[in-house]
Amino acid sequence: MTSEVRTTAGTAAGVTGPVIEVRDAGIRFRRNRRGRRSFKDLFAGRRRRLRPDEFWALRNVSFTVQPGEAIGVVGRNGQGKSTLLKLVAEVVLADEGSVSVRAGVAPLIEITGGFVDDLSVRDNVYLTAGLHGMSRREVDERFGEIIEFAEIGAFLDTPYKHLSSGMKVRLAFSVISRLEEPILLVDEVLAVGDRGFREKCYARIQELLDGGRTLFFVSHSERDLRRFCTRGLYLDRGELVLDGPIDEVLARYAADTGH
Amino acid sequence: MTSAALQAPLRERATGSRRYRQILWLLTSRDLRVRYSTSALGYLWSILDPLVMAGIYWFVFTQVFQRDVGEEPYIVFLLSALLPWMWFNGAVSDSTRAFLREAKLVRSTKIPRTIWVNRLVLSKGIEFLFSIPVIAAFAIFGGATLTGWVALLPLALVLQAVLTAGVGLIVAPLVVFFRDLERAVKLTLRFLFYASPIIYSARDLPEGLHFWAAFNPLSGLFSLYRASFFEAELDWLLVGISAAVSVLLLAVGLAVFARTERAVLKEI
Repeated sequence: MTSEVRTTAGTAAGVTGPVIEVRDAGIRFRRNRRGRRSFKDLFAGRRRRLRPDEFWALRNVSFTVQPGEAIGVVGRNGQGKSTLLKLVAEVVLADEGSVSVRAGVAPLIEITGGFVDDLSVRDNVYLTAGLHGMSRREVDERFGEIIEFAEIGAFLDTPYKHLSSGMKVRLAFSVISRLEEPILLVDEVLAVGDRGFREKCYARIQELLDGGRTLFFVSHSERDLRRFCTRGLYLDRGELVLDGPIDEVLARYAADTGH
Repeated sequence: MTSAALQAPLRERATGSRRYRQILWLLTSRDLRVRYSTSALGYLWSILDPLVMAGIYWFVFTQVFQRDVGEEPYIVFLLSALLPWMWFNGAVSDSTRAFLREAKLVRSTKIPRTIWVNRLVLSKGIEFLFSIPVIAAFAIFGGATLTGWVALLPLALVLQAVLTAGVGLIVAPLVVFFRDLERAVKLTLRFLFYASPIIYSARDLPEGLHFWAAFNPLSGLFSLYRASFFEAELDWLLVGISAAVSVLLLAVGLAVFARTERAVLKEI
């Protein structure tokens, strides 16, 4: 398990030592979801051998992240980028090794997942922000900002399911990016939504970075990676192949994929 | 949005057990709000089910058959175990879908996972508390009087919360892997309804079954609830066994839950 120590400040000054420490982390999945399972498998513990229908999505991954760093994760599809993000967000747990995250996380991954179709936009904001640890009063204070940023003021009492997919992403980004947590995880969620809003999101991310947040960014866009990140992690076949300055990592990635 | 506001130190977020309670309450109140606000008869629906069942048993056992089980007034005797049963039954059968129904939420937040079960126990428990006026009305109407043992009601509530959470924590993760368990659980609950002293008293069982019935944690639990109206129903041996079994089930539930948690998160 990871430690639950939280910092009171999002700025670099508030944290000493690494905020994220991943040591020899590995996680395996079943190849075939409908495969047979038995009670024995379930309770066999975390260190048992790999079964024939399983594969390691990530293995022997180690790195540490200092507060305020901006890290871009690159790699082809299916090489473990999103899984790594989920491990850092602690929504899945490592089968071997350890992942410790010593500050609060605002995860922009599967962001629309936390919303409930039948509840109104207003109720959803309170619910999602609450699930990520905000108190009612904190949400009250930020409610106006959240709605304004999402440009959704006319739909406060509309059930979430009736929003367009663009509005959904806008609302979700707006809530999560207002969590004011020291660590920000961004998956390729921003591919949806129009150009104008994407630029607004990027401005917001830049603002958070300038405020001393730690960024963990997964993208296929070289431009975006160079724009925000200083350090890169290159994942291939579930292994961390290269950990270095973003330009070096991108050059290696380009060389490997033949671009 | 100014960057000054961003750089201001953050307020301390609630941690540990305070955060747990905060989120537990958030989800529970959402459940209750959805239940009571989406239909005009909200509250009525939640008590209609036990009322109809109680009505049926009352009719069958007082009007059709010659009844020689339970106590007078029978309707109060019946409801004093039937209402807690609805809590147990509702929470356990809902826990078969605890993860599946909320898969999206579970996948996207890192809140302590036992909350997904405990909020069911809590919201069904609150519904049970809301249904207490019904039994009070029947007691006044039927001429049943409270005994001093009503002071044990808080103990009964705690005991039932422990028992229900224990069973829920075992059922919820296992159903994710073995979907058949969902139906098996429903069947077991139906069996348990008749195997527990709800329409009869534990004292009405044949001599040979007393020993075995004691291991059903619901026997002691219902005897505790019923003591509020019927002193003779209180059986400390049953209560003691019930408490021991409940605590044991909770321990097993927590162990099963901790052991299967990482597999559950991958599966949903």
